[in-house]
Amino acid sequence: MSQILIKDRIPREELLDSGHLACPGCGAPIAMRLVLKALGEKTMVALPACCWSIIAGPWPQSSLRVPLFHSAFETGAAVASGIKAALEMRGDLETTVIAWAGDGGTFDIGLQALSGAAERNEDIIYFCYDNEAYMNTGVQRSSATPWGAWTTTTPAEHPEMRPKKDMLAIMAAHRIPYAASASVAYPDDLVEKVKKAKGIKGTRFIHILSPCPPGWKIADEESIALARLAVRNRVFPLMEVENGERWRFSVDHPGEPVEPYIRRQGRFRHLGDAEIAEIQRAVDERWKSLERRVQHGT
Amino acid sequence: MPDDRPIAGPARGVSPAAASTTPGGRPVAGTVQGAPRAAVQATPVERPIADTVHGVPPVAVSTTTTLVNRTGSWKYIRPVYQDKVAPCNQGCPVGIDIEGYMNLLREGRTQEAIELLLRENPLPAVTGRVCYHPCEDGCNRRGFDDAVAIHAVERVLGDLALASPLPPPAPRTWPETVAVVGSGPAGLACAYHLARLGYGVTVYESELEPGGVLRYGIPEYRLPKQVLARELERIRALGVSFRCGVQVGGELPWSALAEHHAVFLATGVHRSRPLGVPGEELPGVRAGLDLLSEVNHGLRPELGRCVVVVGGGNTAMDCARTAVRLGAEVTVLYRRSRAEMPANEEEVFEALREGVHFEFLAAPVEVMGEERRPEEEALEAIRASFDEEDARRSALRLAGLRCTRMALGEPDASGRRRPVPIPGSEFLVPADTVLCAVGEEADADALPEGLPRDGGAVAVDALGSTGLPTFFAGGDLVDQPHTVAYAIGSGKRAALGIDRWLRIRAGELGDGTDLAELRYGPAGNVSMTRWRGDDPVQRVAPLNEVVTPERINTDHFRHAERHADRQHPLEQALGGFDEVNQGLAPEEALAESRRCFNCGVCNACELCLIFCHDIAIRRRGDGRFEIDYEYCKGCGVCSAECPRGAMAMTREGL
Repeated sequence: MSQILIKDRIPREELLDSGHLACPGCGAPIAMRLVLKALGEKTMVALPACCWSIIAGPWPQSSLRVPLFHSAFETGAAVASGIKAALEMRGDLETTVIAWAGDGGTFDIGLQALSGAAERNEDIIYFCYDNEAYMNTGVQRSSATPWGAWTTTTPAEHPEMRPKKDMLAIMAAHRIPYAASASVAYPDDLVEKVKKAKGIKGTRFIHILSPCPPGWKIADEESIALARLAVRNRVFPLMEVENGERWRFSVDHPGEPVEPYIRRQGRFRHLGDAEIAEIQRAVDERWKSLERRVQHGT
Repeated sequence: MPDDRPIAGPARGVSPAAASTTPGGRPVAGTVQGAPRAAVQATPVERPIADTVHGVPPVAVSTTTTLVNRTGSWKYIRPVYQDKVAPCNQGCPVGIDIEGYMNLLREGRTQEAIELLLRENPLPAVTGRVCYHPCEDGCNRRGFDDAVAIHAVERVLGDLALASPLPPPAPRTWPETVAVVGSGPAGLACAYHLARLGYGVTVYESELEPGGVLRYGIPEYRLPKQVLARELERIRALGVSFRCGVQVGGELPWSALAEHHAVFLATGVHRSRPLGVPGEELPGVRAGLDLLSEVNHGLRPELGRCVVVVGGGNTAMDCARTAVRLGAEVTVLYRRSRAEMPANEEEVFEALREGVHFEFLAAPVEVMGEERRPEEEALEAIRASFDEEDARRSALRLAGLRCTRMALGEPDASGRRRPVPIPGSEFLVPADTVLCAVGEEADADALPEGLPRDGGAVAVDALGSTGLPTFFAGGDLVDQPHTVAYAIGSGKRAALGIDRWLRIRAGELGDGTDLAELRYGPAGNVSMTRWRGDDPVQRVAPLNEVVTPERINTDHFRHAERHADRQHPLEQALGGFDEVNQGLAPEEALAESRRCFNCGVCNACELCLIFCHDIAIRRRGDGRFEIDYEYCKGCGVCSAECPRGAMAMTREGL
């Protein structure tokens, strides 16, 4: 089949309701929708502060059809660990407990709790939906913000000058049983990884790139296309890491130039050709290092 | 998503302690269930919680879903499903729903695919072989990897149709009868469609067997007679009657057709244009069309060793390749360069493959004769004893063509650069036979008097009417490219025009036909299905607009190699008139149909639904989709991700 048909690989069950409060074109609800489809209704969600605190709806609403616990910013992994422990005490070994955090709650504020949970190998799946800044509060930079990007705290005159933190490698370094990166533009790959993670015991980490139209300064309808470009040009490779050692790519990464991806986003508008060449160089270098990891392990 | 969920139902999101007790169950607001902290129990104990006195649980617990938020009010543009027209459909001179049969074939609904094809094209096994497939020129896949091999798929469907049982006679709906004069592709198409529309049809043919150019023009190595014979059987089975061996306007006067209520003229063009150079009357100078006809009648004329074909069109290629099969060394003389050749590229390629030599930028100046050589006289005498006239003329024999080199000057009316002779560049090409293939024209004497003309062609309106009462015309008689597909298309248009005219005349129809709505795209041919209004393909809000490559989201497709036609090995092909192009096997055609993008028509790939972050797109029972505008925020992702341009964003409220 010439068209890549994915409809038969996406479960039909819906555990997310319409009427949620995500901005038009937001990647985060697509990520949540796909993850819940893969996990099924026996799932509980620990949700530290992030865009999804809003998306889920104000009290007394909830857009999820599974239990969701709103928690403090730094506590996503800790709360999920606690829920899991409580369930185990009550004899429920079946329910999957996940933490669902943004990049701020993962890369920055929640990193300690996440590292602790991973170190203890808590039996949770930790999802980071990454829109590469604190979008909910008005686009402040996080350590997930890519090099060169505009945010309100890294204005165009002083753009982000540190590379994006390599969260997947950090989690792999914890030697957890399963870590992966996924994208809302590759729903079949995402669903497959979540199903695989569900079948593994211990701490599992899935990092999902999830474009933010207002924060990235792109048109609403471009979010999926840009998420796809980020994979095709190796800015955000889709990978799996088992036990921190066995790295593999899960889809094709043709290695298209990064320039169209950068040029289509207003947050990179201030960048000139030299800066874009620098991004390309960094992407190429990182790709080589990832290839080495795939070939030779860590 | 079930639609029957209450807006303000039981709690969905509750504290973990509240929900964990009844997995899958729905805790009721205000009665949070709990369990002893220390004990691990298989059966949880339910107990009331003190804080519910005021109806407030100990922690904030959701009691409704977000379905109360009608987020659809946020949008200012809205997505709609809007089927459009694939470029192949518009590019097809016959006017076939190509995209439609590709989609049916892809789904394994082969019989329905054949029926959809036969709705528009009476001769798919013929066009699958001989049409130069302009449909493929516009294929949106061309810019991705390679155009879909539409012709090969059509051929397989056409051959499957030939292997199917014959159709029952078409029910006779109307009292009127129609005469079709000429049984080439235009005449056959008109007869076929009129019979299917419910008219009595008689086809008049001057030759002894029907088929016209399909039988007597196109060489057998491109179109086996057996294929034509079986296509004709199907047309006969519909109830079309044939009167062959009758020259209308000759032994049968035009007035004899007065018993019919309409007449469709499709007698074609037979008169070869002369070369217009001295020596043209010499023996050995022949009309290319005559040679093709002779060979198609089963004769194998002696052409000598050197044959020169003058002309660069498809007739010239047919003559050259036929002469090769008769054992000659063939040179094609064309006054422009290869780029300007009107012949189809594939024909030129095949001719080259078969060893035909091309002299581009060369034109004849004079046909040269010479005295017969003594050693040939005995042979000539034997020949003369069979043909007295030939003997009288043969004082001279053909020596060759004196030619001049040409250069390309300013563009002429056709947009091609006009060839001009280069002085002093003359040269001689030896020839035993010269075949003229520099164009054909209609034999005006054989047509009814008073037909309006447009240059050499018969003038007709968009539906084939000549303006002369009862007379319609099509095929090569009218001003259009002289190809089988255009002929079939004109026959179909005329059938529609005759039906419309007869029904208007009978007072059963107004004359408000919107032709634009009958066409596949603004520039396509008319669709018989649209005229009849019984499209078996369900379409959503169809827009008669052609899908451009920009509307195709190629991210959702993989590269896939085009299936190439199998060719008869060269040495065997040259040994006779066996069909050269062997086409595709049915399973290859099926694979090729899967390369089709299905431009502009939803084929339920569900990407819109998968990428809808508002969960506002739902499957309907009929396999289509609906958008819940109460919740759709109008982000446009569905339309942007649609691989085939079957969605659009429209202004909210318009």
